[in-house]
Amino acid sequence: MSKKEHAEKKNRKNNLVDQSFYDGYKDAIPEDQIWDFQVEGLQKPWIRKPMPNARAKKIAVVFILVIAISISIFFSFWILHTDPFKYGEAEGGGTELIRFSNPGELLELALDYAVTDVLTEATVTTNEKGESERHTSYSLTKDETQPITALHEYAFNCDERIQRITVGKTVTSIDNKAFYSCYALREIRVDPENPNYCDVDGVLFNKDRTELICYPIDHDAYLREKYGYEGQYWPSDNWKNDEAVDKYNEYYTREYEDQVNTYVVPETVKVIGPLAFNYSELFRLYLPEGLERLETMAIFRNWHIERVDTYTGALGADGLPAPEHIKVSLPDSLTYIGSDCFNSAIEMDYMYIPANVTFIGHHAFWGAARNEGKGKLIGLYELHAALDEAAFKAQVDAGDQWTGEYDNGLFPKRVAVVYGEERPAAH
Amino acid sequence: MAGNALGKVKGVFTEIKTHWKTPAEGKYVPYREYKDIFIAVGSNYAGSKLLEYIWFGAGCYLMMYHYHLPYLTFTIIGLINMPLNYVWAMIGWYINDNLGFLEKKKERIIYSVYFFAIVLGLTLILAPVSRLFDQNGAFVTFMNGLEGINCDSAFKILGTHILWNGWAGSRNIFWRKKLLPKFGRYKYSLYCDFLPKIVMVALIGWIPLWTITDVVERVWKANLLFAAFSIFGFGNSLEACAQNISPNTRERVLVRTYPIKLSHLAHSILAIILPVIIGWLPRKWEDIGLYKWVLPITFGTFAILTMVFSGRIKERIPQPPLEKKVQINFWDGMFGVMRNKYKWIQNIVYLLDSLGNGMLAFTTILYLYTFRLSGLLYSLIVALVSFAGTPPDFFTPFFMKRFSYKQITIFYQFSRALGNGLIVLSLLLFRRNVVLCGSICVVVLILMEMCKTVPTSVGHDMDIRINDYQMYLSGERLESFSGVFGWFTGPITSFVGLIIPLLLLNHGFNSNWDVLFIDDSRLYIIIIPLLIDTVGYLLMAIPYFFWDYDDDKQNKVMAVLRRREEVTAAAQAAEETEATVNE
Repeated sequence: MSKKEHAEKKNRKNNLVDQSFYDGYKDAIPEDQIWDFQVEGLQKPWIRKPMPNARAKKIAVVFILVIAISISIFFSFWILHTDPFKYGEAEGGGTELIRFSNPGELLELALDYAVTDVLTEATVTTNEKGESERHTSYSLTKDETQPITALHEYAFNCDERIQRITVGKTVTSIDNKAFYSCYALREIRVDPENPNYCDVDGVLFNKDRTELICYPIDHDAYLREKYGYEGQYWPSDNWKNDEAVDKYNEYYTREYEDQVNTYVVPETVKVIGPLAFNYSELFRLYLPEGLERLETMAIFRNWHIERVDTYTGALGADGLPAPEHIKVSLPDSLTYIGSDCFNSAIEMDYMYIPANVTFIGHHAFWGAARNEGKGKLIGLYELHAALDEAAFKAQVDAGDQWTGEYDNGLFPKRVAVVYGEERPAAH
Repeated sequence: MAGNALGKVKGVFTEIKTHWKTPAEGKYVPYREYKDIFIAVGSNYAGSKLLEYIWFGAGCYLMMYHYHLPYLTFTIIGLINMPLNYVWAMIGWYINDNLGFLEKKKERIIYSVYFFAIVLGLTLILAPVSRLFDQNGAFVTFMNGLEGINCDSAFKILGTHILWNGWAGSRNIFWRKKLLPKFGRYKYSLYCDFLPKIVMVALIGWIPLWTITDVVERVWKANLLFAAFSIFGFGNSLEACAQNISPNTRERVLVRTYPIKLSHLAHSILAIILPVIIGWLPRKWEDIGLYKWVLPITFGTFAILTMVFSGRIKERIPQPPLEKKVQINFWDGMFGVMRNKYKWIQNIVYLLDSLGNGMLAFTTILYLYTFRLSGLLYSLIVALVSFAGTPPDFFTPFFMKRFSYKQITIFYQFSRALGNGLIVLSLLLFRRNVVLCGSICVVVLILMEMCKTVPTSVGHDMDIRINDYQMYLSGERLESFSGVFGWFTGPITSFVGLIIPLLLLNHGFNSNWDVLFIDDSRLYIIIIPLLIDTVGYLLMAIPYFFWDYDDDKQNKVMAVLRRREEVTAAAQAAEETEATVNE
């Protein structure tokens, strides 16, 4: 037998295993029993025959299903429908606000005593266009024997409606993540009698103003209102190219930018807290000489921020530092830059790491540089350090991928650090 | 040695040439069909994989980076839709398992139900139905307190669900009747869906509903848009067709192991190229250009390729001719699948698997939030992990011969549990060192992937065998009626599936995925679901200890099916001859 014949035989053998099995087995299946024939070890087929006890089985199935579905839906909704206010016991006693779930359109909230009941009053009116509009007002019943002493992490997580929060005098502990992603939050006010916290024009600080805790995400809306700019525009991510630009151009003056998109951190501040400026719409941020720490994600995702500079001395009448008192980039007093601190600060063009910095967290400058194509780089595609390379590496505890990177062909290129630089006099 | 190898290659070449258009004796599939399977299934698979970028769920990049919908909202929408799903499922199974061929009277009734649903759905969407209720009453207040939803939008969401089902249901009967006789039960849907699907893929990126500032409005409108998107399918139906391409079980394995497996190459290449293209977008994964340009163009290309090469691929399930097909009424179908003990075992496993429902994709968190990957580097790591599973798959026939389904599946469950355990340990021990921790996780993922592909292939094979067994039991495969188990497990899984989302919510995960940049929160958000999932895998091994369906039983079942086909076909032929003689 030739090789070819052998191969063909083997192939045919493999292919015909099923056929040979069938040929051997089919006689065991009588022609008149094709729908009933039971294979050994398996259940008997049940085809073209009424099911025994069908009615009882149907009733049982329907009954079980109705009960199961009802119980499931009831308990699921019961779990999902969280009370607007969930409280717990705070460490060291007192009441902690664990989670706030907006009952609908609650825009302002005072955090002084635990809320025991929320009464909603809704009215439907017809507007000029003939469309019906629903208006809701809320009346909160509070238990004055239960003062709120703490705000838990993520207490207001991702609430897109709340605009004003007043922190009562009894609140002594606020987690840095308490107001995380409150996109509509414009101002946080603090009762002047509060022993641990205060506010400066709607921005949250600790009492002695050494730490800035939260700059509300929509603080610019509050400032627009404060300075009499009517209406609102929403700078989307490509806002320079969309319809918002018309509204922006209408408003745009240097004065507008100074009043609404600029913030001067008070000179007493030593620490910018975790997430303090996350998602802000700031263009310019002035840090005081004397600032020591920029905590984790302190200036996270400030897509439009162009300058983070340092100032010394007194502020002018307009609340801004005089040009001669401004130093380019971060203060010399700074020692700590937290992880993801400047993440996505793509509009910045210069960053100077002063000589006293001893810690830089992972991804501190991530997403802050971009290759626009044809060799055009934007953002922080180069970082400048005061120390020389050896001293920098000896002194600074730098986390993984702290410098960031940008596209460079198929593989990204790490942002370069220029060591041993002098701070420039101006941008 | 070299001559021997050359001889073998020549032999293969000759074999292919000889049987290019006509199959070898005992086989059913000519090699030309292998070529078609390679291209069409590859394109269909790649296209369907691309659609995984577009879905109404928290893990979709469009939701993550643009819509920012609250995490629990998706669960709430599921609950709103749950009761009516039972009704739609009942009607759907009845239609599907009768292949769309219904008695005239029943067809009219079902059409009427569907048209009524369309009208009712539109009414609920367009009319302010919630205003019929006391606005200060308990019901409205309760609904307004749900995450991302209010009473008004809840009715619109319900209306969307009813409209969708009415529309999809009537389409289903219409197209099945029209196309199924020509294209078969697996392929027909591609022919009516592929063009509207291409359009919908484009519209998803070009209708900017994410700019709506009010979250409640954003939720119901997005739900409506995605419902319209999901009316048209582009599932991997050609692969399902190709898996049933031959009554010869060995040939099925051959087709599955070679042309089908190799056809996945198209997706593997795409999985490398696509992230590179995304990496070139200014904002990478967050760039809307992904949904406006990249996905529509790529999907359109694969959809067209699929349709061009799908014509010659045939399903060859041994079955009586359509005229002799066993008619399945609803209760027979339902009790039919419930008699199948293997389906019970499988569904108990799915039930236990629901412990992991609601968890975020670990790899997404690892690649995008721990490693911050994009571009070619992302492609290479993803490709490395997914490719790790390919070589073992070529040994699937060997493993199937050497080990039983039960052994392979139990091994798989334990390997998943062990892998998850190792990942948790690395996250806890090396949390401060992003690169080291991430690297360990990638290595473990590679090992897990290597342990996954053989059980997955064996599982697919067993699913088909269990459908063969169902056909032996009930005279039809009752693939749709198998959903009845979901009726019983659904209420439990939907409740159990709340565990992880609620735990994640407590650790800050809601509508903003950036919370995963916060180290401590990320750690909790990864570890808690992984631990729950690990428990699930260990429990899932238990039911498989009761599995006893083996090759011998399968061969006998197939013999019974072939015998039925033979006898009924002969009867049909005899009837036709008699009719001709009488004429």
